[in-house]
Amino acid sequence: MKWDIPSLEELEDAVWKCTACGNCKTAYDFGPPPTYGEICPAGVEYGFDGNMASKGKIAFARGILDGQLEWTQEFVDDIYRCTICGGCQNQCELDHKPVIPEIIEAMRRKAVSDGVGPMPSQKVIAQSMRSYNNPYQGPRRVRTDWTRPFKKAKKPIKNIMKENAPILFYVGCTGAFNLPVRNFPVATASIFQKLGLDFGILGENEICCGSTAMRLGDVDEFKRVAEANMKTFKDLHDNHGVETIVTSCAGCFRAIKKDYSLSDEYEDHLGGLKVIHTTEFLFNYFKEGKMEFTRELPWKVTYHDPCHTGRHLIQFDVDEDGSRQWKGSYMGKNEETCLYDIPREMIRAIPGIDFVEMERIRSNSYCCGGGGGVMTGYGDWAAKNAGLRVQEALDTGAKQMISICPFCHFNLNEGSKRIKSNMKVYDLVELIDMVL
Amino acid sequence: MTEMPKRSKTDSQITKRLCEIVGEKNATDMKHIRYAYSYDLSFVMPKLPDYVVMPTNVEQVQEVMKFANQEKISVTPFTAGTNIGGLCIPENGGILLDMKRMNRIIRIDEESHYAIIEPGVSHAQFASALAKYKLRFSWPVGPPSASTSSCSISHGIGGLSGRYGLNSEEITSMEVVLPTGELVRVGSCAIQEDAWHSCLPLPRVDGLFTGWLGTTGVVTKIGLRVHPMPPILKVFTASTENIGHMASYLRTLGNYEICDDLTGVSWWLSQVPIPYPYKPKPSDVPEWISFATTFSWTEKEKQAREEIWKMVVDEETKKGSSLKETEYPEEALRARTQLPSQIVGSTKNYTKQGGAGISWPGTFTPVNKWEPVYEEWKKILMARNLSPSVRVTNYRGVHYGMLRAMIPFPKKDPASIENARQAIVECLKVDLDNGGIPYKPPVDFGLEINKRAHPGYIELLKRVKQMLDPNDIMNTGKLAL
Repeated sequence: MKWDIPSLEELEDAVWKCTACGNCKTAYDFGPPPTYGEICPAGVEYGFDGNMASKGKIAFARGILDGQLEWTQEFVDDIYRCTICGGCQNQCELDHKPVIPEIIEAMRRKAVSDGVGPMPSQKVIAQSMRSYNNPYQGPRRVRTDWTRPFKKAKKPIKNIMKENAPILFYVGCTGAFNLPVRNFPVATASIFQKLGLDFGILGENEICCGSTAMRLGDVDEFKRVAEANMKTFKDLHDNHGVETIVTSCAGCFRAIKKDYSLSDEYEDHLGGLKVIHTTEFLFNYFKEGKMEFTRELPWKVTYHDPCHTGRHLIQFDVDEDGSRQWKGSYMGKNEETCLYDIPREMIRAIPGIDFVEMERIRSNSYCCGGGGGVMTGYGDWAAKNAGLRVQEALDTGAKQMISICPFCHFNLNEGSKRIKSNMKVYDLVELIDMVL
Repeated sequence: MTEMPKRSKTDSQITKRLCEIVGEKNATDMKHIRYAYSYDLSFVMPKLPDYVVMPTNVEQVQEVMKFANQEKISVTPFTAGTNIGGLCIPENGGILLDMKRMNRIIRIDEESHYAIIEPGVSHAQFASALAKYKLRFSWPVGPPSASTSSCSISHGIGGLSGRYGLNSEEITSMEVVLPTGELVRVGSCAIQEDAWHSCLPLPRVDGLFTGWLGTTGVVTKIGLRVHPMPPILKVFTASTENIGHMASYLRTLGNYEICDDLTGVSWWLSQVPIPYPYKPKPSDVPEWISFATTFSWTEKEKQAREEIWKMVVDEETKKGSSLKETEYPEEALRARTQLPSQIVGSTKNYTKQGGAGISWPGTFTPVNKWEPVYEEWKKILMARNLSPSVRVTNYRGVHYGMLRAMIPFPKKDPASIENARQAIVECLKVDLDNGGIPYKPPVDFGLEINKRAHPGYIELLKRVKQMLDPNDIMNTGKLAL
């Protein structure tokens, strides 16, 4: 399988498109009225311009490319002190905009290939991936522990390798291994059963999607698991009747939908399959009137847009052949594929819910601080940053915070604990399961 | 690619002392951090600072300055580094004093219409806060993340300058740390600690810190006039076939003092982005286009402005002007009338095609000199395959005439940078010889200014500088004295 994953050198022209104007440093919208907010978690925490937004990261890339900067422990550290949330990318209007996260990840790939990255605590993830096929050092058999209540209730979940089904619920490592978020797959499977859907899981045969490895720059490990997964998905489609892959993890969703498409065999392996996030999948049933919320939930809630289901899904319009402006010119963006309205519409539809918005939302959502390997590499900072986001939620008067990403969920809970707040964080599937 | 001298004068003892002053997390001599401060948008050659320091309060700024003065280390103040004159590139290395963490909006006085802010407050932050009181400031066409304080003390301009003049004319008081570390105040706050409403009627010593390119002190708090935001916007757009007709129109309309912003731009500047390299203007479009921004409280007031504008158009037409009411390109108009703007802020209109580099001959040039200077600039720029993307603006009615050209270039290619630099300096010489004065000038410009300056003026500058900064540590070399 061949992959089109660019090296830093291949992105050099894009690096030299950055003006260093610093537009990327703040989330701003003219309105009216004008709105403003900090957008870069690393900038908020570390503050120097090198740490700040894409202006800083591109300075690093430029320094590597023009031979001014050589690896030091601190330099590598600062390259990994970025959640790759894309908040800075959303502010930029220049031609390198579409590849800003790729430039950051390409620096990490270079660090890995030069033997200086990732950071020591993140290397544990890489080793775990190689030994256990997941980043949590979780033994294979533990992957299905979350299904026990279903077995006990005599509502077992199909093992899709043994029993055919049109829907594969790709659980993801975080839901399977990370105890605080294990209710995600439980709630998802519970909803599916209530809706009477024919679905199955890979169970102990599921392996990591590779998202974490990709974000850390470990491209070899990403390719290994991605290729294995793509073959599995093709086999499931060809031989086990699978038509749809549903995932409730924003990281898995982005990896399968976007990162896997960098393979030259993506169409061949996944072309016949629909890859969809749980939220959008359930929304279709909701819109068709096949999923009705019957119970009341008298909560005042707010919603946190995860980066992976939000701005990471923005589609950029680039003049590829130079026929409209010039080759490589960034022409505009399309946010239709971002999951902004769908979760909000479902939350608002729950009887009794009082929904309030935070200041930084949608494409200008403030990252929880857990992405890009930061939660593993810099857990304390990740939780501190999540505390800032939880405080923003508290300022709305909400008592519960809803999201659709297990990473955000875990990290926001850590943030809530850190600032000693009573804010409770829920995934949307947990709410839906409660009111269905 | 650009070459940078690989010198480094870092001394771990100095770093240690700086860390003691501002905390370990806020001072560093790590090269990758310093590197990010070594260049900006402009043609100015990159230069590395030796240390980067981020103070969080006034006392820390004072301690840093006392230490730097004692050790004779250069200090370059920095807020966002978004000027296009290389003003924050440390000519002499030393300490880069990054003020972004001092970013409190201390007060918005909605009755007396002024605000007190710290240097790290961005236009975006300030605009959002003022809007809650239906107030506004004269936002420049810079990035929303740029510093309002730095814009003001550097004689920056903005969307209300047609009415109120430069942003430095909006300063009501200042708190400044001198290069020797003492704290001083100018304006009403110097007399009564809590009074920040006016620099007048005291002697204008605020002038010791405005337009000095960060060479006389570090402004740690600034009082600024803010203005009410009338609800009705009306933008008049018109075109002419040449700069002469445009200058006449802007002068006539400027006489009525009804506009917040009254600007003409050449066809090349009205494009988003500015064409790079030069491309000829289509023959069927006018060479100059103008927007005149007005705000009104009532429909009747708006109608009165429309009446005046029509009167001006009639007057110009009678003179034989090619003036016509014209549609201004939509995105370009939005970029210049919805401020602060990410379109101009992200340099999309300036550098998107050129590739990362943007510099200017930015000048104050009397309206009656726009035509001869523009015609010369056009020749110089086109000869170097650069677009004559020029803007002219009246400030404070017709008092100030601003004339500038935004020149993009690819930062990856040293020859292209040099081509732009030479063109810009050539343009500047023409302007200086016509009585224009550049603002926010890079060192290249400073040299040309000083060559032409009255010896008494240079001597006065040197004396003032010596008085305030005896060891010449503040933004060393920027005045090209």
